[in-house]
Amino acid sequence: MSAGFERLEDVVLDDLFPDVDLALRRGRHVGREDGLMYGFLNDAHDHLEPFYRRFGAELVHKSDGYFYLLPSSGGLGRGHLSAGEMLVGQAMALLYLDPDSLLHGGVVSRELVLQRLESLVGQEDLVRVLHPRLRKVDERVAAETVRTRFGRALRALADLGFVDLVGDDGLRLRPALMRFAEPVRSAGDPAQALALLVARGELELAAAEDAAVEEPEEDGEA
Amino acid sequence: MSGAPGSNERSSPQVGSDPNTLIASLARDSVTLDLGTYHLCCLAGLHLRANRATIASFGDEEIVDLFEQVCDIVEPGADNPRKRATHAIQRLRDQRMLVRVDGAGVARAGEYAMTRLAAAVVESYLNDEVLTRESLTLLTRTLLAHLAEVKAAAARADSRQAWTDGVIGPLNVTIGELIHGIDRRRRGLDASQEQVQAEIAGLIKADWFRAVDEAQSLLDVTTATLHELNEVLLRDTHHFVALLQEVQDLAEAAGMREAQEACQQVIEHVDGIANWGDARQRTWSAYYQYVHRYLRDVVRLDPDRALSQRLRDQLAAWTRHPFHLRLARSPSLRLLRDVSARVDRPAVTRERAEREHPPVDVAIGSDEVDLEALVRRALGDGASTLAEVTSAVLAHVPVDQHFRSTGRVAALVARLARPSGERERPWVAVADAIEIEQWAIPAQGRRA
Repeated sequence: MSAGFERLEDVVLDDLFPDVDLALRRGRHVGREDGLMYGFLNDAHDHLEPFYRRFGAELVHKSDGYFYLLPSSGGLGRGHLSAGEMLVGQAMALLYLDPDSLLHGGVVSRELVLQRLESLVGQEDLVRVLHPRLRKVDERVAAETVRTRFGRALRALADLGFVDLVGDDGLRLRPALMRFAEPVRSAGDPAQALALLVARGELELAAAEDAAVEEPEEDGEA
Repeated sequence: MSGAPGSNERSSPQVGSDPNTLIASLARDSVTLDLGTYHLCCLAGLHLRANRATIASFGDEEIVDLFEQVCDIVEPGADNPRKRATHAIQRLRDQRMLVRVDGAGVARAGEYAMTRLAAAVVESYLNDEVLTRESLTLLTRTLLAHLAEVKAAAARADSRQAWTDGVIGPLNVTIGELIHGIDRRRRGLDASQEQVQAEIAGLIKADWFRAVDEAQSLLDVTTATLHELNEVLLRDTHHFVALLQEVQDLAEAAGMREAQEACQQVIEHVDGIANWGDARQRTWSAYYQYVHRYLRDVVRLDPDRALSQRLRDQLAAWTRHPFHLRLARSPSLRLLRDVSARVDRPAVTRERAEREHPPVDVAIGSDEVDLEALVRRALGDGASTLAEVTSAVLAHVPVDQHFRSTGRVAALVARLARPSGERERPWVAVADAIEIEQWAIPAQGRRA
């Protein structure tokens, strides 16, 4: 029994419930940074876990300090991150682990994330993944496209609670980024860890060529 | 400082003046500050010598000797250090760092003193003034004692001079200096906090797991310091403001506007310091939580620092072995519209309209007959130009028919007479708003 709530009815009647419920159903990762919402989930966890199970979803609480909803059957709508979001998320997870991020309390610049991504993935692969339909373009157009898609991925990840946008250029990294490192969290075989996570419904595998064919065709963003 | 002669002292910013005006005046005076390492070291040497020997000014020869020694330390083996020392004196004078105080001109060797600006520059490099609990407590207690004196002086002040000597002066000078002392140390604390952050990042980067305890201890010490400072600030700034408001009330009752303004300025400074303490406490608290979590969740759980490398490999290989995080994604609630029967929309067509109107019978007016008679009469009376005929006819026609009648008159003249026209026919006024081209009607050409 949770400390804060006697019955599920009390949880549902709480002022915070609608916001928390909608956020979770939209895929948001609710962390300590979310203050009251995180506290509410902590208090109501025992009631909400069976509540969401009835919808075919698991309310996951990670020791890194965040909650999220993982749909296991068809009750709730489910989705997965796009290729661009996956690349940007992993680059930010890498920066989250970097001690240099301590200098400014976990705030890094967008440029740093993009630089790190480019150095690890390579410019060509980055363009191919972020904009697969782009063929034979000059370097300037490619760079502009990458920045546009990168910005779009960042906004999506911010909506999902992986990162906070700070001012025009800053990003506050959140512990939920550690989800991107789950397949390599343990020192064992990464392929085996990946298979286990797929079996648990945490991940979806995609063919290599599919990784680059899911970005919606929208332009005109800066 | 300063490029323009005399601009240093004259343009010193006054607290409470309009910042835009002050900045504009600094720009007008073209203030600059351009000092190299050697010159700063020379100033530091002067400052230290002055402090140790308790002297206010230096003789020409004394400065040259000192600068020579500085040159030996800063740039050993430099050519002609004496010449460099002489140039350094000139440069420091140009930059308003040194000022000649003897006023003897070329009659004898000069006597120089450091300016306030030079002292401030050197002190900022030499004195590591950071706000500590001890220094803050000392400053706030002194401030409280002085404020109590100011309040007592305000209570017994019975003349303008008494207000100036006992209230306005101490508020502007003594109290102001003490508050600036807190302000200066506050900036030192900001700088030291930044150093601590860099130090923690450096420790973890260099020693990872082995640096956890040291980093934690650094965090705790700074947190405790900030907490203590904030407590002192919260408690004492409240007292300062209460005392200052009492002085302000007394000044208001005595009609001393200047004293009221001086109080207000000090209150604003005190509020600024209190806000600073609060903001620092909050910022540091967020930083503390982040680092604490990092040490616990990242460093302690990955003592060999292998996770970063594994994640780097995963990212590099991701395009070949892609996978995607799964998450809930419920669409927003849909609001259904009211049911309505489907309506066939008519095709867009042009409205049909009869554009050809049938002819209408109109009775011929009697004025045309009159016109011909009038024209005949005018011709018969000997009119020799079209203008004369038209003027004569229009005199008998209503004004609203002048324009239409003018054309008809011309047609009648052409029919009844045999007018002739020049190649360039002049325009002649025949009524208020009508001009016509002139025709001549020769006498033999008149048929009527």
